[in-house]
Amino acid sequence: MSRRIYLDHNASTPVHPEVLAEMLPYFGERFGNPSSIHGFGREARAAVDAARDRIARFLGVRADEIVFTSGGTESDNFAIKGLAQARGGGHLITSRVEHHAVIRTCQWLESQGFAVTFLDVDEHGMVDPDDVKRAIRGDTIGISIMHANSEVGTIQPVAAIGAIARDHGVPFHVDAVQTFGKIPLDVQALGIDLLSFSGHKIYGPKGIAGLWIRKGTKLVAVQHGGEHERRRRAGTENVPGIVGLGKAVEVRAQEMAGEAVRLVALRDRLWDGIRARVPEVRLNGHSTARLPGTANICYRHVESESIVLGLDLKGIAVSAGSACTSGSIEPSYVLVAMGVPVDWAMGAVRHSLGRTTTAEDVDEVVEGVVPLVEKLRAARPAGVA
Amino acid sequence: MRYSATLLDHFLHPRHAGLMREPDGVGSEEFEGCGDLARIFLRVRDGRADEVRFQAYGCGPTIAAASVTSERATGRRVEDLVNVKAEEIEAALDGLPEDRRHAATVAAGALRAAALDALDRRGGAR
Ligand SMILES: Cc1ncc(COP(=O)(O)O)c(C=O)c1O
Repeated sequence: MSRRIYLDHNASTPVHPEVLAEMLPYFGERFGNPSSIHGFGREARAAVDAARDRIARFLGVRADEIVFTSGGTESDNFAIKGLAQARGGGHLITSRVEHHAVIRTCQWLESQGFAVTFLDVDEHGMVDPDDVKRAIRGDTIGISIMHANSEVGTIQPVAAIGAIARDHGVPFHVDAVQTFGKIPLDVQALGIDLLSFSGHKIYGPKGIAGLWIRKGTKLVAVQHGGEHERRRRAGTENVPGIVGLGKAVEVRAQEMAGEAVRLVALRDRLWDGIRARVPEVRLNGHSTARLPGTANICYRHVESESIVLGLDLKGIAVSAGSACTSGSIEPSYVLVAMGVPVDWAMGAVRHSLGRTTTAEDVDEVVEGVVPLVEKLRAARPAGVA
Repeated sequence: MRYSATLLDHFLHPRHAGLMREPDGVGSEEFEGCGDLARIFLRVRDGRADEVRFQAYGCGPTIAAASVTSERATGRRVEDLVNVKAEEIEAALDGLPEDRRHAATVAAGALRAAALDALDRRGGAR
């Protein structure tokens, strides 16, 4: 296969060469344990501190409010279980379109006796802040709403929800794994108390992420052991990962704004190209409040996995629904929550563009999709699905 | 790649895809779990499947399974086609991942239904 095109940046991204270069010494000569007091340890400690400072500056928060974790999944678990266990009981509010890291954590808490409200979304996948307000009870201990959805890219009205959370004195957690380093994010203005972010969606390494915890937010640790991370998350720090995350954030700070403009144009070029030539398609998610590089498209009467496979054989990588759920044959729970009819939802394909995506890539994808969908539709029995 | 080269070849270049007008037998099978569906059409001459066509909706393996089924059925006695099992189709595709076994089930089921339909239409044969 000569040229490969990767349009699955919401699943993961390649490590930026500058990020990799900055990480490499920490696998080699600077391998020390940051908890050690000798020179090797101090070297590693300095690198961890520097990365934390960089990320804190980027977010406009205090460095000691950031805890490094092993991934967005752990950050979400920590935020929600940490809030719940700090109070010992009560009620949580979240939505039906959250990542499984949030939904399943909330479901587990339900099994442990907590009450959870899973809010519905509208046809664009958006939560109504008024629904959040109505759901708040005397015993509500936390609200968790994602910043942008990984499947359809819809950006939630977090500022309005944050204001409501503040009015009611309820801690507000935001899973920003899909927006951190992609679009501006001001935790102060948005009224956020806890923020999950992850390295591998922003050209950093996998297995490193963070949770920002506003000072004063009561949170119980979920992982116990040593004194690491101010006793909030035990375990020897992933030093190369943390260094990489810090560098990735620095690069994003420079590239983010220009890239967002470029990706919106490319993503619209993709959709315009497809809808001009393929009948019975629909774009899912919000028309404007959407991640710059995300285009989730339903091809009616075609099963999405057959499109993913057909494009893969042409060297083009896209995904059917969310990467985590593509092994299952259910239509995406996000699209179902948005009220997308099943015969459309079964044909949903997510195209997520990134920093190396070009107009030629986009055009090649359109050229690949058109005959593939035609062929698949031609083989389909009439009157089915 | 989790699919065999044979499967990918049938998916990319389906044999005998498309509708058949006025077939001598037609049958469908659907997999409840995901709505995948195959339909097989038979043209029968001298008790044998002279021409076989298929239509399919579903994941890549389902399309490939229907294609390989149409290929394998061609030329065989209709009575014989009633007994084609999912295992035969799976083997013809050089295997299927566990979570895609339904592709062979659907294709074999459609072939069986089409063969039974052809026997019914011929009348008296069963
Ligand atoms: C919105 C959202 N939250 C959480 C995660 C999980 O992050 P990680 O893969 O770092 O565990 C993802 C990744 O797919 C995501 O998109």
